Amino acid sequence: MTRHTRLVMSMIYWAFVLYIFVPLALMVMMGFKDSKFIGFPIRSWTLEWYIGVFGNSEVMSAFGYSMVIGITSTLISLFVGVWIAVLLNGRGFVGKGVIYGLTLLPALIPGIISAISFRIYAQLWGVPPGTGAIIWCHAVHNVPFVVLIVSARLGTLPKSYLDAARDLGADPLIAFMRVTLPYLRPALIGGSVFCMLISFDDFVRSFFLGGYQPTLPVLIFAKLRSGMSPEINAIATVVLVLTALLGIWAERTTRRLKKGY
Amino acid sequence: MENLQQDTSQEIVRLDAINKRFGDTEALKSLTMSIREGEFVTFLGPSGCGKSTTLRILGGFETPTSGRVIVNGEDVTKLPPNRRKVNMVFQDYALFPHMTVRRNISFGLELKGLSKSQIVQRCDELMGFLELSAYADRLPDQLSGGQRQRVALARALAPDPALLLLDEPLGALDAKLRGQVQAELKSIQRRTSKTFFFVTHDQDEALTMSDRIVVMNKGVVEQDGTPEELYFHPSSRFVAEFVGETNLIEGHVDTVSGSDVTLDWRGLKLAGRPPVSGGLEAGSNVAASIRLEGLKLSLDKPEDQPNSVSVRVSGRTFKGSRTELDLQVESAPEISMRAYVDTALAEELGEAPVWASWSQEAMAVLRD
Repeated sequence: MTRHTRLVMSMIYWAFVLYIFVPLALMVMMGFKDSKFIGFPIRSWTLEWYIGVFGNSEVMSAFGYSMVIGITSTLISLFVGVWIAVLLNGRGFVGKGVIYGLTLLPALIPGIISAISFRIYAQLWGVPPGTGAIIWCHAVHNVPFVVLIVSARLGTLPKSYLDAARDLGADPLIAFMRVTLPYLRPALIGGSVFCMLISFDDFVRSFFLGGYQPTLPVLIFAKLRSGMSPEINAIATVVLVLTALLGIWAERTTRRLKKGY
Repeated sequence: MENLQQDTSQEIVRLDAINKRFGDTEALKSLTMSIREGEFVTFLGPSGCGKSTTLRILGGFETPTSGRVIVNGEDVTKLPPNRRKVNMVFQDYALFPHMTVRRNISFGLELKGLSKSQIVQRCDELMGFLELSAYADRLPDQLSGGQRQRVALARALAPDPALLLLDEPLGALDAKLRGQVQAELKSIQRRTSKTFFFVTHDQDEALTMSDRIVVMNKGVVEQDGTPEELYFHPSSRFVAEFVGETNLIEGHVDTVSGSDVTLDWRGLKLAGRPPVSGGLEAGSNVAASIRLEGLKLSLDKPEDQPNSVSVRVSGRTFKGSRTELDLQVESAPEISMRAYVDTALAEELGEAPVWASWSQEAMAVLRD
């Protein structure tokens, strides 16, 4: 690479970084603005909006609600996803390809379509809108990601590990619990964080299947209708920081675990 | 087969007419053999000869198409691996990466339902024995190849198996370490007096460590005997070529009587020994094997040797204290032979023809 092309490449890189981070930076800055209206110039700064967010029971309960939905749906998708991944990585059987295709389908269907279908389906079965319906919908949507992440890891599990466990006296279940599951740990952590973030971020499904209690994105949407205020920026910033920390932690942990210690 | 009947009291494993097919291929054809307690038995053969299949059948990872596997007098043919008193050292060691050395070794003990203190005691004992105590809390990732191999050995020995299976466990080690580990393994086997069933394609390894070698080819046993028997009395062309290096000559049987065979080779009458299994007929075409070190070279025709032929030296390969010579038979230059001689002697030999001679003992006539 010549010096010239290197210069051009690095400029493109930095332009891209700016393109991504300027909106985020603006959003974060506005959360500290001591005024009700979003926009420049910022004459004085304040932490008032943040204090307001943490003191706002409506926001805090929506946050908690989102967490409950995220964690529950993640646990369900982990259970189902690992099970399907193990099934698909095992010996061949009739209809394996079909199951694989069906498993991945929820990840490919546009959110709005899946949300409407779930709404109709729930109605058909007499499932009322609310927590259960949202968790169910999020869990189904997340299963394909778990299957993909876990399958990738499972594919690298040497068959001899399981043979060794069996050889030393483990029945298939014990071998799975004591050798396969620990081996899958990085994938399980990565997969859960991924599921959590998707669930936490989801608006469309939660909106269509929700009852009266709003998740955080639904609450933000409701607040937006009464006009933009720095309070929303403060909420968004808190969410941004939390999710970024979670992501970084997951990345570091899985990398460490994949090395084996 | 005679051995089988004599030592049934000590017999620990018996394979009884084992057949194994994978689709259209027959991996094992009616394999029958027994292993006595405390033996170091090696299954030797090229890849695809059925040695690994035998190992996996013993371990319980494959079920034979027909035949029975008997361990300690009990038919275990249908038992899964976790219910057999047989443990295995895997080719890649298969140490559990998320467990420390101690936890790896304890794994089989925990599943046997031993008490905590018993597990700790047995584990300490094995780690001391295999010089692993300093690494008890390390993960497999933080060990060298030789250490990992010892952990795999300790883990497999821990549940006190009736038979220990070893699947080419030295393959992953570099050449220098391998020699050292071979000696170690043999000494561990002696000290534990465990029965070892070792599988390899490396004839050096087999010759160095085994009490008994079973040479396999295409799913059948070619020869079953001590390393010395295999080396000096190969019974088939395959064994002669696979174990050690050799000169093969082709001729036909002139006379057979007891332990003497006369071979007619290009008009020369050569004296040799018949194969252990017998079965030579006068007039049939056969091959005979003469080890490289069995050929003696001299300037004058030796009077005391029954077999001698005039040869020319066509090439020399220096191998330190000895030299490998390429020889061409004078009366038939298309036939070449090889011999090991002292390097000092090799230098004395010039371009002129010399005599290559060998004793009757040095020539094993093979059943073809």
